[in-house]
Amino acid sequence: MLDFFTIFSKGGLVLWCFQGVRGPAATAPVNALIRSVLLQERGGNNSFTHEALTLKYKLDNQFELVFVVGFQKILTLTYVDKLIDDVHKEFRDKYRNEFQQKGALGLLNGTFDFKDDFMRLLRDAEESSKVRAPTVMKTFEQSLKSQKTVKCMIETRGEKPKEKVKTKKNKGSKKEGAEAVTASGKASVGEKQQPSPAGDREELTKDEILQKNREEFFRRHMKAGEKSSKSPKPEVQKEKGKKPRVWDLGNSNAKVLDYSNPATNGSAEACPAEEFDPDRALGDRNREPGRLYDLEYESEDEAEEEKVLQNPSKPSVKKGGLGGMFGMLKGLVGSKSLTREDMDPVLEKMKDHLIAKNVAAEIAVQLCESVAKKLEGKVMGTFTTVTSTVKQALQEALVQILQPQRRVDVLRDVMDAQRHRRPYVVTFCGVNGVGKSTNLAKISFWLIENGFSVLIAACDTFRAGAVEQLRTHTRRLNALHPPESHGGRTMVQLYEKGYGKDAAGIAMEAISYARNQGFDVVLVDTAGRMQDNAPLMTALAKLIAVNAPDLVLFVGEALVGNEAVDQLVKFNKALADHSMAQTPRLIDGIVLTKFDTIDDKVGAAISMTYITSKPIVFVGTGQTYCDLRSLNAKAVVAALMKA
Amino acid sequence: MAGMAGRLEPHLQALRRELPGPAVLSVLLALLVVAVTILIWRAVQGRRSSRRAVLLLGLCDAGKTLLFARLLTGKYRDTQTSITDSSAVYRVSSDKSTNVTLIDLPGHESLRLQFLERFKAAARAIVFVVDSVAFQREVKDVAEFLYQVLVDGTVLKNAPALLIACNKQDVTMAKSAKLIQQQLEKELNTLRVTRSAAPTSLDGSATGVPAQLGKKGKDFDFSQLPMKVEFVECSARGSKGEEGDADFEGLEKWLAKVA
Repeated sequence: MLDFFTIFSKGGLVLWCFQGVRGPAATAPVNALIRSVLLQERGGNNSFTHEALTLKYKLDNQFELVFVVGFQKILTLTYVDKLIDDVHKEFRDKYRNEFQQKGALGLLNGTFDFKDDFMRLLRDAEESSKVRAPTVMKTFEQSLKSQKTVKCMIETRGEKPKEKVKTKKNKGSKKEGAEAVTASGKASVGEKQQPSPAGDREELTKDEILQKNREEFFRRHMKAGEKSSKSPKPEVQKEKGKKPRVWDLGNSNAKVLDYSNPATNGSAEACPAEEFDPDRALGDRNREPGRLYDLEYESEDEAEEEKVLQNPSKPSVKKGGLGGMFGMLKGLVGSKSLTREDMDPVLEKMKDHLIAKNVAAEIAVQLCESVAKKLEGKVMGTFTTVTSTVKQALQEALVQILQPQRRVDVLRDVMDAQRHRRPYVVTFCGVNGVGKSTNLAKISFWLIENGFSVLIAACDTFRAGAVEQLRTHTRRLNALHPPESHGGRTMVQLYEKGYGKDAAGIAMEAISYARNQGFDVVLVDTAGRMQDNAPLMTALAKLIAVNAPDLVLFVGEALVGNEAVDQLVKFNKALADHSMAQTPRLIDGIVLTKFDTIDDKVGAAISMTYITSKPIVFVGTGQTYCDLRSLNAKAVVAALMKA
Repeated sequence: MAGMAGRLEPHLQALRRELPGPAVLSVLLALLVVAVTILIWRAVQGRRSSRRAVLLLGLCDAGKTLLFARLLTGKYRDTQTSITDSSAVYRVSSDKSTNVTLIDLPGHESLRLQFLERFKAAARAIVFVVDSVAFQREVKDVAEFLYQVLVDGTVLKNAPALLIACNKQDVTMAKSAKLIQQQLEKELNTLRVTRSAAPTSLDGSATGVPAQLGKKGKDFDFSQLPMKVEFVECSARGSKGEEGDADFEGLEKWLAKVA
């Protein structure tokens, strides 16, 4: 049933391989697994699909081994997890000597004759999955139903509602009693009995009116509303007062329809004065009339909450005190292997730290999971604590994520395109207000400084002032780099067709114009759009699919938090869905803007690169033309890990 | 001599009066032991940190791990993408006494720079493995990695010997070492310009302007580098396939020279 099972070292040597029924070579899927899961820190769940295969893997961090099993995606084999665990244990125990020898030479020289053991384990696993007998249905005697008496199962329609009404009535009377008690307590306030109106209310019965008025009165005076008293009311009303409906409009009397309480609306002297309590209405008597006070800063409440939170954690620390001390000594001296329980508190703290630094929550969780998987079972060196090991591993993982997976050299690619006599097209996309036009101007300045001529295509035909903004930038850039200093050719020009036109059409015309006039780079500015707006996303996908730009840059601001994940996922999905080609053009790079507004909460960089696995090409750090930087992975990670 | 002793006498007497007799001797002995320990420790450190490592660098799928296995055992092994480094001691066959540590570093983009950082200080020589078959397609990536290795501060300072091994020569479509050299020189020439014009890094980190590679004004040439650069053709798999030996006499000779 299995296609293959490989065991290889983390250094790359295949120690043992089992080729199943008709499996193709195992190297390609396993390489794909390594590159997309392990190296991108997505090691949270241990299965991965590649074409028609599902791959499950397990890491042995003590001896630096990886166990991978591959089987057809359509099969659901339940014994695979158990099989991997068993094989892992057996292999490790059998070849422990080779591993503990001098590292790589032991692996290179050792012969790993594991086939017989593996076949045995496989057979056991397959049998154990078949052994479970089909569940037998329970006979009638065994079920609970046969043990019930016949009498309790007979339902009589009439009894039930009566029971309900009785209980409600009891509740109602109890509530009235309670009200009476509290009412007597409030006797000092004044007379509370509302005058029961005699005249207009023929429909409602007397005690209902009484109850209604009482409830209104108490609702006004007591903070905790007795909501339960309201629930018997509608039920009781339904039972008793079946009011005759008056459908004939001619006979409707205004007085009949007037349910208002004449005591409160209208006659002023009947309105009980004690209802209006000036103290309660005005609040603070000592305030100056007419002055607007500031928002009160409630710092003591927060301090209390923190104290409450800390207290439960303290006893657990005390409990682990003695054991922890011995464990620490053992960890310092001997070789201690890391377990999940050791790492969990540290990882929790690191996860919260990352979230506090503006990394998206789900990404922080996945990262910590992946790091835990990588460290489980690893033997710590002497004088290293769990915290330092975990921090080190997390730091390496973060640097790994920020390293670009492909070349990030725009100038080199522009030179290539120049040689082929075609313009290099860059498209900027993103949500509203992230800084697309500003960074487009910065990038065109940088390109001009390096001697390339730029055509700016104003494909933002929606936002008021977008074209004028780009025209102003063009004018400024031409003033900074006049044609005289570049051999008589204008370095930057704007291609615009006004507002309201189709953006994809303008882009196509701009590119052919650039090709005719010999411009080196075309920068296409698009309108900002929310990722949920389906028609606008379709329009953007059409622009990119039709014009096939060389570089699609997603502009995102560094202030964004968990939104970054949603934005990028939806943008990529829209681009993939609406493209006709086999390999759709997705986002090729990210421009991270407004970096100067965050001090060290640089987590957005991690979120964005993790989601797309595309590099951050530029970083915008201000609003002048020189505020364009490239990403320094180590500096960003240092800022992230800093306490 | 006597005068000096005379001048010292009162001081020694004062000392003897201050401390009880045997304590002086024990203090002096302790100081001596500490000094000797420090000297020995420094000597051992010095020996350990001397550069005895040969690094195997290159892009993914260049054949570094197979080359590593062949050099050490002579046998063919299946390999996967490496996630971590492997190191072993390699005895240069002609001269039994010297040995170097061969270190095989992963070539994947996310890992290569990290591992280079870790091991560059200990590098005595660098073998840069190039896939000769896929070279035409990957020339820009190869050149970029090579550029990053060459402008690194530590590498420039130590100037380890550099060998560019054009691997996979057993395939008929493989490019020759001469062609690869020419292409790399052209590519590095362009890279010098574009890399120094790239936007500055976020921090304004210490390397404000990356080091200039080669001589300004003239086209880039490998002879302009401070270290010795050689090109060699080899095949880790070997022309006879997996059972036969690998063809890398050039590589072995160079290793013997460098060790």
